[in-house]
Amino acid sequence: MIVQTLTFCLLAAVTLASGVMVISARNPVHSVLFLILAFFNSAGLFVLMGAEFLAMIMVIVYVGAVAVLFLFVVMMLDINFVELRQGFLQYLPIGGLVGLIMLVELLLVLGGWAIRPPAGVVAAAEPAVAGVSNTEALGSLLYTRYVYLFQAAGMVLLVAMIGAIVLTLRTRAGVRKQSISRQVSRRRDEAVEVKEVAPGSGI
Amino acid sequence: MLHVALVFAPLLGAVFAGLFGRVLGDGASRLIACGFMTVSALISIVVFHQVAIEHETVVIELMTWMDSEAFEVAWTLRFDELTAVMTLVVSVVSCLIHWYSIGYMAHDPHVPRFFAYLSLFTFAMLMLVTADNFVQMFFGWEGVGLCSYLLIGFWFDRPSANAAAIKAFVVNRVGDFGFALGIMAIFLVFESVDFATVFAAAPEVAGSSMVFLGREFDTLTVITLLLFVGAMGKSAQLGLHTWLPDAMEGPTPVSALIHAATMVTAGVFMVARCSPLFEYAPDTLMVITVVGASTAFFAATVGLVQNDIKRVIAYSTCSQLGYMFFAIGVSAYSAAIFHLMTHAFFKALLFLGAGSVIHAMADEQDMRRMGGIYTLMPLTYAIMWIGSLALAGIPFFAGFYSKDIILEAAYADGTGFGDYAFGLGIVAAFLTAFYSWRLLFMTFHGRVRAEPSVMARVHDAPKIMMIPLVLLSLGALFAGFVAYGAMVGEGSGFWGGSLFVLPENDTVAAAHHVPFWVKASPTVLAVAGIGVAWWFYIARPGIPPAIATMHRPIYVFLSRKWYFDELYDLAFVRPAKRIGHALWRGGDGRVIDGFGPDGVSAAVVRLAHRAARLQTGYVYHYAFAMLVGVVGFVSWFFYAIGG
Amino acid sequence: MPTVHAVPDLAPALPEVILAVVAMALLMLGVFRGDGSTRTVSWLAVAAMAVAGFFVITGPSDGVVTFSGMFVVDRFAVFMKVLVLIGSALALVMSFGYLRDEGMERFEFPVLLVLATLGMLMMVSANDLMALYLGLELQSLALYVVAAFKRESLRSTEAGLKYFVLGALSSGMLLYGCSLIYGITGATDFAALSAALSGGGEVPIGLVIGLVFLVSGLAFKVSAVPFHMWTPDVYEGAPTPVTAFFAVAPKIAAVALFLRVMMSPFGGLVSQWQQIIVVVSIASMVLGAFAAIRQDNIKRLMAYSSIGHVGYALVGLAAGTAEGMRGTILYMTIYLVMNVGTFAVILNMKRAGAMVEGIHDLAGLARSRPLMALAMGIFMFSLAGIPPLAGFFAKLYVFLAAVNAELYALAVIGVLASVVGAFYYLRIIRIMYFDAPSEVFDAPVASEMRVILAAAAVFTLFFFAYPAPFLAGAEAAALALVR
Repeated sequence: MIVQTLTFCLLAAVTLASGVMVISARNPVHSVLFLILAFFNSAGLFVLMGAEFLAMIMVIVYVGAVAVLFLFVVMMLDINFVELRQGFLQYLPIGGLVGLIMLVELLLVLGGWAIRPPAGVVAAAEPAVAGVSNTEALGSLLYTRYVYLFQAAGMVLLVAMIGAIVLTLRTRAGVRKQSISRQVSRRRDEAVEVKEVAPGSGI
Repeated sequence: MLHVALVFAPLLGAVFAGLFGRVLGDGASRLIACGFMTVSALISIVVFHQVAIEHETVVIELMTWMDSEAFEVAWTLRFDELTAVMTLVVSVVSCLIHWYSIGYMAHDPHVPRFFAYLSLFTFAMLMLVTADNFVQMFFGWEGVGLCSYLLIGFWFDRPSANAAAIKAFVVNRVGDFGFALGIMAIFLVFESVDFATVFAAAPEVAGSSMVFLGREFDTLTVITLLLFVGAMGKSAQLGLHTWLPDAMEGPTPVSALIHAATMVTAGVFMVARCSPLFEYAPDTLMVITVVGASTAFFAATVGLVQNDIKRVIAYSTCSQLGYMFFAIGVSAYSAAIFHLMTHAFFKALLFLGAGSVIHAMADEQDMRRMGGIYTLMPLTYAIMWIGSLALAGIPFFAGFYSKDIILEAAYADGTGFGDYAFGLGIVAAFLTAFYSWRLLFMTFHGRVRAEPSVMARVHDAPKIMMIPLVLLSLGALFAGFVAYGAMVGEGSGFWGGSLFVLPENDTVAAAHHVPFWVKASPTVLAVAGIGVAWWFYIARPGIPPAIATMHRPIYVFLSRKWYFDELYDLAFVRPAKRIGHALWRGGDGRVIDGFGPDGVSAAVVRLAHRAARLQTGYVYHYAFAMLVGVVGFVSWFFYAIGG
Repeated sequence: MPTVHAVPDLAPALPEVILAVVAMALLMLGVFRGDGSTRTVSWLAVAAMAVAGFFVITGPSDGVVTFSGMFVVDRFAVFMKVLVLIGSALALVMSFGYLRDEGMERFEFPVLLVLATLGMLMMVSANDLMALYLGLELQSLALYVVAAFKRESLRSTEAGLKYFVLGALSSGMLLYGCSLIYGITGATDFAALSAALSGGGEVPIGLVIGLVFLVSGLAFKVSAVPFHMWTPDVYEGAPTPVTAFFAVAPKIAAVALFLRVMMSPFGGLVSQWQQIIVVVSIASMVLGAFAAIRQDNIKRLMAYSSIGHVGYALVGLAAGTAEGMRGTILYMTIYLVMNVGTFAVILNMKRAGAMVEGIHDLAGLARSRPLMALAMGIFMFSLAGIPPLAGFFAKLYVFLAAVNAELYALAVIGVLASVVGAFYYLRIIRIMYFDAPSEVFDAPVASEMRVILAAAAVFTLFFFAYPAPFLAGAEAAALALVR
């Protein structure tokens, strides 16, 4: 038990710390790297809760795909982050104040909840199904009870895909692009023209 | 049908002359107006015969006017004896004045408008006298008030005419307010505004009391006093009389028709019409007696020193109206109406005669610039004599009969108020005779005081003006003699049920049995007045200025008309103007406009500017606003629930 | 041991299924036929919406749930879905001319609109916090893209980006609220939530805070103050037909969702959320009235106008009664018509082939295009709430509900705000009728535009003559919600 608690504290602390570093690091590449660290620690937290499938997904999708994509973008685009940050100090006092108030309030809510859960309203946790693996349980829920949400999420992704294409795909003129079918179907008389050249004169 | 035509013919004339005057031209519109008016006058004679002689009361309901739960008012024409007398007087005099005006207004640029107003006035007056309920009467009442305003201000390019018109309207408003309150009180008490219903219920209401202005008063006294306030305004009784002399700014035919013969007598008519109410309100009758007698005396004294020929006659009108009212005050309603009728004839005659003089003297109204013209306009001179004799109450002229019966009735009343009225009335009769002959002598006799160029053109008026004058002078000569027996004669049943007198109040009957000196004294005093006038203005022209210098304060007091105008100016006009100015500058300008339209619009523009500036275009500002909103709400709930 | 699950009943969700399938089919069609097929794809999309509408009307309407209780169809859903479909279809029809003239004829546009509409229908029918979120995201994502659809235009791109960033923030808030609610009640299902919260007793503050976050997220979608900041920029920057679309369908769907979430699961917490709604409503009405006064761009002006109108619509919600719901539903119905009409005019503000957006470009419209000016005048008077036009009745019913719910301050402020708001609507009328004419707009007006304009104007003008069917429909919808 104590080991679990210690592990939780460690993972949570590192997650939070790397989260802070993500927004405070000067170098954007460092930010992304801290983000990856945060993801790993979150995956660790999932493992701690016994949700190994989610932990793996976290690592594969977020670290393997999303974060790497971020890294590419950050490295390929020359974004001047210092410039973006210029207003930071200017807005820090008021922003910090609002943030602090928010934090205190949420702490009060959740703290109050933890100390004295009110009667009447009871959180109904799903009981763990014995003998069924995480993956199987998720699968059987997703495709039955939550099929509507699953399909809806599919539509959301479809929209995201269409959106990405619509907003970025453009056919530019004057780009030398290889067209294999044109190359293959090219005929001799398209490429070669025979001209009668009179002696003593150029073409 | 005949009766409807009697009332509505003048309206048709007004519509034609007023709306199509420009198309028709001057000649056609005045002929149309006069034609309709003549039709109306002829019908009125027929109707008079039918109603007053044959005693056939006619009530014609035209249509429903208002019908709202308990409040029902209909347009109804009611012809009883009282109405018949009034319609006869109104339409005949109006008709004659219409014809007279053709000549008098010949050179005015706005002839159609004038005739439209004149006919419209006649229509309103006829509506007033034929009304069968208080609301319709009020309609006519306001109609004549409006026409009076329009006609006083007819020459709108004269500032004094405009001021006089406004004054007449405003002063009348005070009276009308009383009248309107009276009507409301009647509806409150009787739950009806029909004459028949109200009058039938009057005896039951008598003696009961109602709460008015937080105090308890006798119901009928309150109602009748309110009505009398209305009558005071319209009939220019002491206190609300100030508009009448100023109203002489209007064209002279207007003064003759509206401010002598008809409209100003509407108050007398209204009180007479409501005699069933007034009879049960003895306190009101006392008030009427005092006010009427005081007016008669007051106006006569002021008339002594006026130099404007029309103003003299105006004050005499005021004075004669006072006679009518104190006659009513002593319950001699029939005498009042009788005097109303004779007065209409001789006063219209006097005004039109004066108009003829003014016309001849190139629009000069000041008697000090006239004189010595009696040979130049003999017919007018004769007519003015007839009018003055009738006014002064010289035997066998119209005024003699009516004025005497009033004074006798006042004497016969036997109360202190009656004696007060009788005393003042006798004195006023003397004064009346004096100022009438002062007018005659100053205007027609003595030295020539006008410019030679004016004198060269003095002549009698054209026929179109003289014929109505002659007809009116017949009225002034014979109306009293002819109607005396019927209207106020002993045991005459002429009035039928249209006038109501309690048996114990029947002063008219008692008037026939007063001592001889009472009957003789008005005549004696009138002759004395004429004699004094002759002494002052023909024999010894030096005396009046000498008296005026000797008793300067009295002279100034009288010539300033007892300082009524100054008093009102001080008491009402200036404070009202000051309040108005304060409200305008401070109230409206600063408070209402400042905080209202101007202030609000300025604030809106300012706020709009700020609201638009919130939109900076920066995403993080927007996000921040959202966060602040959320934090705000969360904090609010912490405060509200978490405590 | 694997359990066998029955296939969920698809019949109640038939319109959604149709739209989803059609969207994918049209996508295929577009991909194979290229951008030349945009017209065809558009008309097919309109047809699909019509068919969906048909199935909405003929389908079940008595509170059927399916998909494990995540999807509900009741009279309220039917009424609002019809409104949404009408709004979407009209916006799509109105976009034809613009897309052609601006060189934006790309087949993805109608497909995205269909997908957004699908999202809206899912929102309207949502009966679970998760279903709510997914419907909302589907709609929003499609909207982000169409806002930035004119990608050569910096303003359009900026609009899309701003909308996306702020929308993501609001979605975050919404999700945070949902998670708080789930954490405290252990349920996401509306029916279960309703059952858990109707017991009375002390309401945990965490739940209320969760509700605040949820409301904040929803308020962003309906563009209520203080979550409105994106609206003017997005309205102005987005291509005009997209703005027209934004102004009607998503707003109706979001308001519908708002009503359902407030009344169905959290109906027991009226006294809590009423406080927020009242504040948000007042702030929206006031800001909508004041900020619009200084606007010279008609699209921006319409943005503030829509903020104000959402404020009025929320007055009905704030009442928290069946009467209030009826008022809001009716408000959105009339709002739909007025806005479609107004945008039909705005879409015809074209000079020498280019769109103009300044309100001074309308100067003298009464002389150059009397009929169009008349229609615009009707819409402006109606938006200002001048009787006897439809807009007046919309306001009347919500204010009546507020008064009957004893929210007097709200009603009074609403009336005052509408007086201030009348200022800028009347200003447009003044410009159209009394200012010296500027150049004439391009002729001719497309026939579909004429039909839409005329129909909207007639509806607005003569609503007072026969409001019974709309009142009855709104009434039934409201009763389904309040139960």
